[in-house]
Amino acid sequence: MTVTDTALAASGLGKRFGRRGAWALRGCAFRLPAGRVCAVVGPNGAGKSTLLALAAGLLAPSEGTVTVLGTDPASARARVGYVAQDKPLYPQLTVAETLRMGADLNPGRWDAETAERIVSAGELDPGARIRTLSGGQRTRVALALALAKQPELLLLDEPMADLDPLARHELMGTLMARAAQYGTTIVMSSHVVAELEDSCDHLLLVGGGRVRLAGEIDDLLDAHTRVSATAPAPEGTGDTGLAPHTVVESRVTGRQLSALVRPSGPLPDGWRTAKPSLEELVLAYLRNPQAAPLTPAEPAEPAGRPADAEALA
Amino acid sequence: MTAPTLHRETPAAAAAPRPPDPRWLLRLHRPALYVWAGLVAVLAVGLVWLWGPLTEAAADAWRQYGACADTGPCAYDQDAIVTYKSVYNYTTVPLIALPFLVAAWSGASLFGRELEQGTAHLAWTQGLSPARWLATKLAVPAVLVAAGTGLLVALHRLAWSAGDGRIDTAKSWYDSPTLHANGPTTVAFALTGLAGGALAGLLLRRTLPALILSLGLAAGVRFLAGLAMPHLWPAVTQVTGLEEGYRASGLTVDSGLVTSTGAHIADPGCGPVSSYSGCDAVYARLDATGFYTTYHPESHYWALQLATTALVLAVAAGLAVATFTLLKRTTATTRPTRERTAQEPTQEQAV
Amino acid sequence: MVEYRIDRHSGVATYVQIVQQTKQALRLGVLRPGDKLPTAREVVEATAINPNTVLKAYRELERDGLVEARRGLGTFVRRGLSTAPADSPLRSELGAWAVRAHEAGLDREDVAALFTAVLDEHFSTTADRPATATTADQPAPATTAGRPAPATTTDPQAPDPTPQGDPS
Repeated sequence: MTVTDTALAASGLGKRFGRRGAWALRGCAFRLPAGRVCAVVGPNGAGKSTLLALAAGLLAPSEGTVTVLGTDPASARARVGYVAQDKPLYPQLTVAETLRMGADLNPGRWDAETAERIVSAGELDPGARIRTLSGGQRTRVALALALAKQPELLLLDEPMADLDPLARHELMGTLMARAAQYGTTIVMSSHVVAELEDSCDHLLLVGGGRVRLAGEIDDLLDAHTRVSATAPAPEGTGDTGLAPHTVVESRVTGRQLSALVRPSGPLPDGWRTAKPSLEELVLAYLRNPQAAPLTPAEPAEPAGRPADAEALA
Repeated sequence: MTAPTLHRETPAAAAAPRPPDPRWLLRLHRPALYVWAGLVAVLAVGLVWLWGPLTEAAADAWRQYGACADTGPCAYDQDAIVTYKSVYNYTTVPLIALPFLVAAWSGASLFGRELEQGTAHLAWTQGLSPARWLATKLAVPAVLVAAGTGLLVALHRLAWSAGDGRIDTAKSWYDSPTLHANGPTTVAFALTGLAGGALAGLLLRRTLPALILSLGLAAGVRFLAGLAMPHLWPAVTQVTGLEEGYRASGLTVDSGLVTSTGAHIADPGCGPVSSYSGCDAVYARLDATGFYTTYHPESHYWALQLATTALVLAVAAGLAVATFTLLKRTTATTRPTRERTAQEPTQEQAV
Repeated sequence: MVEYRIDRHSGVATYVQIVQQTKQALRLGVLRPGDKLPTAREVVEATAINPNTVLKAYRELERDGLVEARRGLGTFVRRGLSTAPADSPLRSELGAWAVRAHEAGLDREDVAALFTAVLDEHFSTTADRPATATTADQPAPATTAGRPAPATTTDPQAPDPTPQGDPS
């Protein structure tokens, strides 16, 4: 059990490019406990990459702070793995030379066996130049570099975008095994929710440069209810009965009311309720930028569960 | 299989803080390293050839030429003289062009492309802090550039000295290409090119614009240093009579006419009085009593070289500091004091 | 050793699928008391699902008394569910009945409908708790789940969702 139980936290975090530039990210506050697999979800340009680059120490925040593994991003550098969205690698090096560079740059941390296993699973020729590789093969090499430095926190920006379904499944399995064996915290961004749904247990929904939802996926789903009701209000009054609750999205079609709400108390009898799916939840928030964000800074969590640890062995 | 608990296996169990091996940089720029080594080797061979056999052959030819009678055919080895002159030019011009080559490579390949392609981000997340990345990328090439250019200017100085006074067409010490090819200013220019390339690369984050800015910086520094050089050491003034004309030989700072009051005025360009009779009247009207030349004699050579080298190295250091500052402002840096010291024991336990 | 297959479009929560497949393996005698379940690492490497999902399923099985976690060794089967092992007389009777149904001209869906109807008549639908509990991991709209949707999220039989997902 690591002593630092928060892998990543932000407080009032903001970043803009240039002194007069628009804010790419603003007022970001969340806390990601260690050992989680976190999905950073949002449309393109929402600020996901900026958030990950801030956590990786590649950018300096314009305001606020980001805390990584209990310290600042620069001090945590050696313990953090990062794969950028465009998977930059030196095109003139071969695959083997790229891995050797990783070994040179990470003395004392480099796990050559892991790197070679990931690369050889893709049947990559070690003598092939990076510039001759496909996007998916580059992703594989980039992931090998990030994993072989044995990070405690892994930041992956759209890691699966270039991969075919087979490689996607295999590499996601590799990542999950990493999380299971070492308790590595993994943060992955994607604009496709379904891609991450099975693998992640924590969610950061970023939209318009702000964190809209943050927390355990189960908690977030539990906090929301899909409701539908017939003839909710007398014609013209506009009173839908939703008022006491936080409404994320609501729609009245004829006499049919359907809504996604965060109940703040018991819902009226006669309303049909159902739990939303993760995708429904995410889409509802993205469709409704004015919906109040839900970002508990300190999500409740039990201190420890020895039983789980045993089940793993 | 593995450990009983999730966290018992800590990935960095064997982590011992060692600095990253700088060989990654040499591997990355192996073609550039080979090109540099080849260039230095070719120029060095050329200079050694110039220094030994070519200088001797050309000096012999000039001796033969000097021994010739004023009339009649003269037998001397003209080819030796021509070869010497060609090889001198073919070694001197590339040598003083090396700083520009370094600047172009530094701006484009060493820094601009890394930021354009995002590979700098790869390095910064592979256990190499941005500051260490920059320091390595400046220090390792700086050593190689200084060693290469240092060797070549030393050889050039030896080759030039061997021919000085023995070969009539040998360049004077203050001839601009020769002056810089003979001394450490070229080493300093090359190092400035390296630092300027770093600043250009980090500032523009694009290969081609960084190459252009880097070359521009190198040319600007070269030009301004050339302007400043004669003023970096006190010059001497020689006054000669109106009949003699200018006599001084060296790096000229200023020249003109001296009046009877000792004032320095512009030279209308008439020349010594003996050359054209009308000049008498011109000088009389201007109240000129002689010519003056403010210049550096050859004895000032090292003073000028070292002062200029120091100035250019200061510029290089300034560019490097600016690059570090820029990098520090754009990337995350360690938060000072309190928070870090609080975390240190935590990290030890975690590892 | 049991191998889990996760069907992400089934509408059944992932951890429930693991629970069900483990129970199926216990019923069919594929898993017997003393057998070791695959480690979470092995499961997630093969299925690319979140490790905490596996832990949640194993916890569920442990709570049912079917498996036990032994520190440092792994998770082991405590007791089987093999009331009708693969070679039992009940199974061969069912096989013979299926042959007769086929001979009588019933197609696959007819047989399934008949079997489900008899099943519903003789077994309570809430007997197998995870199958009908609110699925926290992968809730699906009730229409696609093919099973009664929970009326509210406060189903007293739903597994406690809060401790899920903390491996620390």
